Amino acid sequence: MFAILVARRYLLSNPVQTALLVMSVVLGVTAFVFITALIQGLAVRLTNDVTANSAHVSIEPLTRVARVVPGANADVQSVALVSTFQRRQIRAWAPTVALLRSQPLVSAVSPQISGNAFLVRGEAVAPLTVTALDPSALDAISPITTKIISGEAGLGPDDILIGAQLAQNLGLSVGQPVLFRTDRGVDRLLTVGGIFQTGLLALDERVAFLSIRTARPLFRLPEGVTNIEVKLTDPADARPFAAFLREATGLRVTSWQERNASLENALFAQAQTGRLIQIFSLISVLVGIASALTLSANRRRSEIGIMRAFGISKRFIAIVFILQGLIIGTVGAGIGCITGFALCSWLATMTKTDGTMLLPIAPDQGGYLTVFVLTMLGAVLASVIPARSAAQLDPLEAIQQ
Amino acid sequence: MTEVLAARGIGMTFRNGDELTKVLKGVDLTLQTGELAALLGASGSGKSTLLSIIGLLLRPTAGSIAIAGQQVDTFDEADRARFRNQRLGFIFQFHHLLPDFTAMENVAFPAAAPGGGLSGAMVRRARELLDRVGLADRMDFPATRLSGGQKQRVAIARALMNNPALILADEPTGSLDRVSAEKVLDLMQEVNREDKATFLICTHDENIAARCSRRILVKDGQVFTEAGLEK
Repeated sequence: MFAILVARRYLLSNPVQTALLVMSVVLGVTAFVFITALIQGLAVRLTNDVTANSAHVSIEPLTRVARVVPGANADVQSVALVSTFQRRQIRAWAPTVALLRSQPLVSAVSPQISGNAFLVRGEAVAPLTVTALDPSALDAISPITTKIISGEAGLGPDDILIGAQLAQNLGLSVGQPVLFRTDRGVDRLLTVGGIFQTGLLALDERVAFLSIRTARPLFRLPEGVTNIEVKLTDPADARPFAAFLREATGLRVTSWQERNASLENALFAQAQTGRLIQIFSLISVLVGIASALTLSANRRRSEIGIMRAFGISKRFIAIVFILQGLIIGTVGAGIGCITGFALCSWLATMTKTDGTMLLPIAPDQGGYLTVFVLTMLGAVLASVIPARSAAQLDPLEAIQQ
Repeated sequence: MTEVLAARGIGMTFRNGDELTKVLKGVDLTLQTGELAALLGASGSGKSTLLSIIGLLLRPTAGSIAIAGQQVDTFDEADRARFRNQRLGFIFQFHHLLPDFTAMENVAFPAAAPGGGLSGAMVRRARELLDRVGLADRMDFPATRLSGGQKQRVAIARALMNNPALILADEPTGSLDRVSAEKVLDLMQEVNREDKATFLICTHDENIAARCSRRILVKDGQVFTEAGLEK
């Protein structure tokens, strides 16, 4: 196509200007890729931090149930939600667990008894949040074994795992007995089987783990469980899966996103901010292309005029300018994607003294296809105005100039 | 001899605010195939306006024009451009070559751009024309590396590229030195003589006019023949 030859010659006729123009596109695209990779990486890191150590879906009993309330008219009745005044538990938890285990999205299921208790040593009393679970599934929801700093992660019938801060507060060490008192008023002497350290004071001071068999008499729950925690292969599926479970079980089911609404809001705000930066990057690229091509069209007024005089169509001239925009956009976007990926990959190798990444950047999530297509389309769009103005040039006026 | 140009009652009035300026007042002009005609006149006489109208670069406010047997008054913008490309050749005072292209590409441009590409036939034709104007050894030279006279000869070759019915030249030697100007005039005379190409040369130079087969004087917006300056 002859228009491509003309467009290429025009671009190569002023290599410095063309190189600067391409460089401005490269910079804009690189900025776009960097921001996208950073936002995506940050979102992934925050999401991982939240989802790696907690359940993706939690199932609990409903706090209230529907009761039929008779109306004044015998034919008309209404339904009201009232408290059951009963112990909150999931009695028929086994079918729910079976249902969960049959789902391909589910990677782990942990039926649990959660409750409040105290550790008593001498006159010292420390409040506890207790999680009682199947010893074989100790790490199913949150990895505990790797956080044990003393003793073992096993949960025997008399064992309790406590946090390092609590052990320090009560002067406890592995193998020592301690009086355990539940909020149901049941006491039992347990042995410290292991001490864990998560690094989070609230957990290391307040949380303890028991075997679910041990917990049943202590919390007076011979059959039921208080909650079922679920881990999914992809945390992003949690919301629709929770909705499915809600429908299927009639229980109160919450996804990790619902339990961390503030995180979700923060991620949303961050994504919106990033999108604005991306839009401004692209706009600056497009304005650069439009202004450079407008200058080019003005500089070539007499050439365009002579082309129009010897009968070259407006369409051909417009195509030449649009092709220039397309070539600049494509080359700039291509190089920008490569430099953006290189920059993000380099930044991903930079670590802090503790070995964690300096920036939570995800080089593989730089939105490369998006920015490539948007830049190409934008470049074409940006060249339409100069292309139109060039094509509309009056040949006589241009020649006389 | 057949009629290449038939302009009847051409009028051109320019409006400048409330003021109307009549530049051409009912001009009648015909040209036959193979004529080498000079369009003479003082500055502001309307000769360039008439040439632009005949070249379909300007629409007259009155009158009608037929070129190579085709009535062109009713043509829309796209048709006029197509007609200029296929049936008219232009040579301007300044060569107006495209600086980013070689001599050969400049000559082939009017055929290649509408044709979608530079075909082998176009390249051959462009080379023949450049050979004809004495620039066989400059075919692949960038236009910027040619002298003024060489550039104007390339412009003549470009004007001939699509075998036009009529070649319009506006002060074709105006920007050249005497030697180059003579060569360009010799070339136009040769093309006229050998190809029976029809030229209408707009000039105020009596020497050029003297080498033409016909002299047409434009004065006060009217055309006079050399016979007696009668309308």
